[in-house]
Amino acid sequence: MTNTDQTASDLDIAGPSHSAARPVHMPGDGAMWVMVLGDFIIFGSYFVIFMIYRAMAPHEFLESQQHLNLNVGALNTLVLLTSSWFVARSVQAVRAGDHSRGLRLTYLGGLCGVLFIVIKAYEWTAKVAAGYTMPSNQFFMFYYMLTGVHLFHVGLGLLILGIVVRELRNPRRRRLSMVESGATYWHMVDLLWIVIFALLYVMR
Amino acid sequence: MSSAVSTESAARPVDPGARPAGKRDVWIVFWIVPAFYTAFGIIFFALARVMPPPRPDVTTDQMAHFFHAHATTIQIGFGILVLIVGGAGVANGIVVYHIKRMTVGSVLGYAYMGSLAVGALPGCLLVAFCFLTAVYRPDRDPQLLALLYDLGLLSYVGSLGCFTTAWFAFAIAILYDRNQIFPKWLAYVTVWQIVTEILAIPVFVSKAGPFAWNGSIAFWVGTVVFGFWLSCLIVFLKKANDLQPADEAPLP
Amino acid sequence: MQILAEAEDLPKTANIRTQLISLWSVPIFGAILLVAFAAFPGFFPPMSPDMPANQVAAFYRDNEAMIRFSMITFNLCGIMLLPMFMVIVVQMKRMATQSHAFAYCYLTAAVSGATLFALADIFYLTAAFRPDRNPELVMLLNDMAWIIFIAPVGAIVAMNLLLAAAIYFDNGPNPVFPRWVGHYALATAVAMAPAVGAAIFRTGPLAWDGGVSFWLRNGAFALFVAVMFFVLRGVLQRQAVDEGVAR
Repeated sequence: MTNTDQTASDLDIAGPSHSAARPVHMPGDGAMWVMVLGDFIIFGSYFVIFMIYRAMAPHEFLESQQHLNLNVGALNTLVLLTSSWFVARSVQAVRAGDHSRGLRLTYLGGLCGVLFIVIKAYEWTAKVAAGYTMPSNQFFMFYYMLTGVHLFHVGLGLLILGIVVRELRNPRRRRLSMVESGATYWHMVDLLWIVIFALLYVMR
Repeated sequence: MSSAVSTESAARPVDPGARPAGKRDVWIVFWIVPAFYTAFGIIFFALARVMPPPRPDVTTDQMAHFFHAHATTIQIGFGILVLIVGGAGVANGIVVYHIKRMTVGSVLGYAYMGSLAVGALPGCLLVAFCFLTAVYRPDRDPQLLALLYDLGLLSYVGSLGCFTTAWFAFAIAILYDRNQIFPKWLAYVTVWQIVTEILAIPVFVSKAGPFAWNGSIAFWVGTVVFGFWLSCLIVFLKKANDLQPADEAPLP
Repeated sequence: MQILAEAEDLPKTANIRTQLISLWSVPIFGAILLVAFAAFPGFFPPMSPDMPANQVAAFYRDNEAMIRFSMITFNLCGIMLLPMFMVIVVQMKRMATQSHAFAYCYLTAAVSGATLFALADIFYLTAAFRPDRNPELVMLLNDMAWIIFIAPVGAIVAMNLLLAAAIYFDNGPNPVFPRWVGHYALATAVAMAPAVGAAIFRTGPLAWDGGVSFWLRNGAFALFVAVMFFVLRGVLQRQAVDEGVAR
């Protein structure tokens, strides 16, 4: 798998240029991986703290969990997994040089992201209408904050996908590293959701 | 490897006979940053006892007791703070200076400067004023002390938007910059700062637990991330200073 | 705006782009702030300064959720309007026939004004924090919140006077702003200035719930932000074309 787009992208960190004879291809650029790993660490700390509080009040957490709609959560998981699939295939298309297909697939991935937000908004509205708000108890505080900060990441992800779209539409650019960075971020968002889904909705 | 001089509008021509000042001014300003934040840490952690913050889930009498117990160190610590808080201005100013050396125009630098200037009051000084007022008269009504306790700590931990705006401006500036003043990943670290601001939203609601103003998530994780960001910033301010050519023309 | 291909990587293009980003924070966060404004139970209708302490305390107890939602949103999103005012500063600096004095004064005034806006919501939130606080103290916090929110219009009045003056002095062959913007800024300053009465009067149109101090002041400000968004879009388009960045 050769990388034909090794021009210095403006997301590369300052440093010696890629002039090695056989460059090892790390998808995207180093900066995005810093973002991903750091985000995992930060979210990891939130998840650990969640587990601790859950262990301190298992009945309250279990009981509150019943009020979450497992089907809606599963639907959202499916939507996000599908979007990741589209994004991954768009990276493949761009690597093969088929930019218009890559563009279409990126749009589809973004559309799924929008759908995720809509479903989440509906879910929150239903919960609030049923009387389960942030101050209801510790579980719901975690629920709203974890899904809320994840939603912020989805919003950022849509912005990043928009940048990828602009990149692909401009025949003078179309840097592979940009597309790969965007995909890396989007997969991170997906992975975070899977953990959140497992912790909040599924884990008994 | 020197960073490119910004190709913005032409700088004022320098009289060739004048002796350039070199970068002494930028270095002086730089060293104020770690000095100020060290003092800030000592004040907020050891003296004023605001970091970590005292608990929200206490009675009025316990809040009054807090002020009585720490009156002296609060006065010393915050008294020094209101004297040296200009260091915060310097720390923000040197970042604005380097943003202006980027290729992104001035608007984001102004936004960064403006937002942090805003933040200095509700996000840093208000707690100092509230606590200094609280310990000013030893026999103040405990209910009034409780009000100052809440107001100070809510404003300190809960001032979110001003910093969020500054971090957005900084992150966007780094990502658009082609002079490579700062590494791109610093922009992403700055985005984590925004995440921690969002996670502090519940301090206005929770009185105990991880989301209270002294909570593991709303306070501690945020403080750790801020400490990491600040360390990176100081390191890269030093690098940016190092890489700046000594004969770079003054900014327009 | 159609950025020219040749200009893609130039610093002056990034200058335009970052200004555009700063400008677009207005509709996004402006919409969110309008929702928060509508959601605050004490704005429709605005709370009366004559409410007794017990009623004020009851208001905060009974409306905890909505008060927190709206004021936390103000806290988080209010300062996101600042970048647009920084775009105005950058554009004032482009005026050819004057020094940058007005622009820098505008900058500092904008920061002062924003600080007050950032402060007000903290008082509302502190008033809502402990429902069992002495009602007299809740009323004190409520008073401070309203007075800090409504009355200190000095910064925005100064900003608009500076902007108007700068526009009137901009006699260059290529004025940055259309002249009517100067008149409009002046009118906004005049419309908002009387709101200082909210710090003094407890009844009547100048009180913080009155037609002048509340509705006229806030309406004029919101309208100004909305109008300036469109004005600045046009200004940036012209700048881009003038500098060869866009078509």
